[in-house]
Amino acid sequence: MIHHVLRVILCAIVTASVLAGPSSATPAKEAPWLPEAAAYRLTLFLGNLAPVPWDKVEQAWSEPYRGSEYRLGAFDWLERESAIEVADLSDAIGRQDRHAVHLAATRLIALRIEEELDAAIAADNPAVSQQAVATAKELYRAFADHIKAADPSAARTLGRAWLELNNATGSAGVLGAGAKDRNVKEMTDARAEISAYLAENYLVADPAPRQTLTAVPEAIARTGQPVELPAALPPGSDIFDQDPLPLLVLNFEEQGIDETDLPLIAYGDMLFDSAEIFGGPARDLGIACSTCHNRSDINQRFFIPGASHQPGAVDVDGAFFNPMFNDRRDDPIDIPSLRGLRFTGPYGRDGRFASLRDFSRNVIVNEFAGEEPTPFMLDALVAYMTEFDFLPNSLVTGDGQLTEAAPDAARRGEVVFNRPFAGMGNQSCASCHTPSGNFLDRKSHDIGSVAAAYEESHAGALDTPTLLGTLYTAPYFHDGALPTLASVVDWFDETKNLGLSGAERSDLTAYLETVGAADEPYEDFDTANTPFRLAFAELTTFASTLDTLLPKRDARHILVLTDTVAADLAADAGTMANLSSRPEVYALAERLAEVGAAVRAEDWAAAETSWSLFKTDAAAIEDKAF
Amino acid sequence: MMPRLNRRHLLILAAAGLASQPMSALAQSGPLRLAFIPQENPDKLLGDIEAITAWLSSEIGMPVEGFVTIDHAAAVEALRNGDADISFMGALPFVLAEREIGAIPLLSEVYRDAPSYTGRVFVRRDSGFKTLADLEGRDIAFADPISESGYMYPLAEFERAGLVSSPDAAEDFFGRIFFAGGYQQAMQAMAEGLVDAAGASQYADLLLTPEQQSQVTWIAESDAIPSHVVIARPELDAELRENFVAAMMKLNMPEHRDKLRYLYGPDGYVEADPSGFDGVRTMAQRFGLL
Repeated sequence: MIHHVLRVILCAIVTASVLAGPSSATPAKEAPWLPEAAAYRLTLFLGNLAPVPWDKVEQAWSEPYRGSEYRLGAFDWLERESAIEVADLSDAIGRQDRHAVHLAATRLIALRIEEELDAAIAADNPAVSQQAVATAKELYRAFADHIKAADPSAARTLGRAWLELNNATGSAGVLGAGAKDRNVKEMTDARAEISAYLAENYLVADPAPRQTLTAVPEAIARTGQPVELPAALPPGSDIFDQDPLPLLVLNFEEQGIDETDLPLIAYGDMLFDSAEIFGGPARDLGIACSTCHNRSDINQRFFIPGASHQPGAVDVDGAFFNPMFNDRRDDPIDIPSLRGLRFTGPYGRDGRFASLRDFSRNVIVNEFAGEEPTPFMLDALVAYMTEFDFLPNSLVTGDGQLTEAAPDAARRGEVVFNRPFAGMGNQSCASCHTPSGNFLDRKSHDIGSVAAAYEESHAGALDTPTLLGTLYTAPYFHDGALPTLASVVDWFDETKNLGLSGAERSDLTAYLETVGAADEPYEDFDTANTPFRLAFAELTTFASTLDTLLPKRDARHILVLTDTVAADLAADAGTMANLSSRPEVYALAERLAEVGAAVRAEDWAAAETSWSLFKTDAAAIEDKAF
Repeated sequence: MMPRLNRRHLLILAAAGLASQPMSALAQSGPLRLAFIPQENPDKLLGDIEAITAWLSSEIGMPVEGFVTIDHAAAVEALRNGDADISFMGALPFVLAEREIGAIPLLSEVYRDAPSYTGRVFVRRDSGFKTLADLEGRDIAFADPISESGYMYPLAEFERAGLVSSPDAAEDFFGRIFFAGGYQQAMQAMAEGLVDAAGASQYADLLLTPEQQSQVTWIAESDAIPSHVVIARPELDAELRENFVAAMMKLNMPEHRDKLRYLYGPDGYVEADPSGFDGVRTMAQRFGLL
């Protein structure tokens, strides 16, 4: 079974849903969902968005969820695996009747559990029984976390019942040896406990309509008592770091300056990685600035159903992150790179914010529902983000000229790039993407890439993006509509009637790829320089700002730091290659949590002591932190 | 979690070897046939098999087929009657297959630099349990009664500690023993407080959420357990065996490592050492399986 567990781990499958512990920016990856359980959870998630994206609800049942290991969508899967009718659910989706969809989908999952439990009891051997029980348990997973949150006592009783049920299925043994008969009475007793709960809570004929669609048991929901549900993303979500991880180029680091000597920047670095500055649900899910902007660049895999139309895109003013900021427009944008940020203002795809500070506040407060940041926090974030440099590229000089190393095709493309075209008002590509100005002009232009929001609207002007580093930031345009730089060239050629030959298009593409290239675009990990070592170095650097904050007795900012770093350190320990040193990392995380606890208790002497011990312990385990 | 196997899953996949390929002059007349044991979603396994058999075929220079069996017994039966030449298998089923049909171990999977792993007894850190003796009268979840690291080896630690006289007497020591159905189920039951301890693979805590991982620890660790093996039927042509092993060993090379994900995802392979299974043979005897 070892290869099963390790494969599960190596495939980055853990348990539960895509979620994170409090304050942790290290999400837990999920085990694959059965198609109908996935569709149910997607239905709950999408059904709580406003307006409900009914096309996506329909899709949730008709197509495999994104990343599913199953080739069939839920309805097709059920047709193959189950005798349960889905007409009620299908009709309800067609009528866009939210309550009816919830009722039918909930009943469907409950009935599927019952169907599998029937099969488990009726089976004539342990292997078939176990398989049916396992499937039933996987279906129960669609309800489990909400039962646990709403009715913890029942969750425990049911948990034991599932244990009893599986335990009573006996064993098929191995190659005929060690077989153990089923205990049908014990199976039946355990099943009865589960079935009674399902009947009372999930197979109710007339459940009360719910304002928020959940899997909270009906008996609890009817009481109207508030239930704090764990934050979770639906199946198909992906908020994990991009792989390979983009290389982070910080100006001060390239000059040999240690971040621990730059407390404002180090604190800003921490905030950039902190989910604590956001409100729910982003905070509870561990989403931070760096989740989308991995290492100052982009995260091409980021995807949340209902909020992303494709990987690497998100609608930050939709219904999910901050209902108050919901613009009720389905307009996700491709996540932009923040490299060279101090050169790329104004900010926002349409350049609506002249100030990076204003832009950052809007992200925190409006897009992600965080509390008003302090001036110090905004100063720190801006100080850190303005250290983001473009990726070094030996093919291009600082003023945007090609070097000797650039290929001939790029040189020919450079000529095309600088050629005025009648279709572009006698301007060239270089008119906006000014080579000597980091390939941008800090202006907004309507190039026709945005559909008019309404007749005669002028909402299509977008901020000119830099071309530096773009070889690694596909797809392109504000909505990620174009998959390659070649397709960008084709788009301009076709929409602006540039009249380029095939060779010219190819050369222009080569120029863009040369300008957008980098000497080292990604982090280079190996057995010694592991992702955990990188994380450990970052987190201990963040913590170093306590040397500044503790003497100032700055409780608010200390607590943001300790809550963030202690949780992340513990969570990241699970990614260590050196598993045997995990306990020491957990102890180190606890030491930092002790600093926070002491500050909360206003025991500054204890805080200083714990901080001092943290530094000693961190230094002691540094060599083992990989 | 595993959808039920049906006839569709058991179909033999298309032979990856092409007629235009140079055929080997080996004694094997038909294709080399590999039997796979389903661990997860059989749909996914089928795709993996297609990919790896195509590559093996190009490396060995003869057609290679793969098919999914219901379980270990079916794989061994396939080896016995010649329907399969090679199978992927756990250490315990291998030693039983060795006794039954003289199966030969070819390769051992490597994880984290070792062709072996251990079983551990896990508890919640806040439980206060420090030794195995603390678990007297308490409830424990194991993975499965025929799991080496998820039952047999962890339970042997209780025997070694003098707390359990024999596997049959284990219930006298514990409150309840549950077989939860797998590592993850056993670990979750422990982490959620449904039981007091769990016996599982040394890596099983990685199946918990990061938060749960920081909340659990282990209080006993077993002897090393050989990791999974690739075995052959004894009649398989020796030269073909060698060619197969040579091809599989190429998976350790950087340019081929990406293909390991098609084979249950080990870090690599080493040639199997038959004597390394002595401990499993002894354990199987103690549990009355051999």
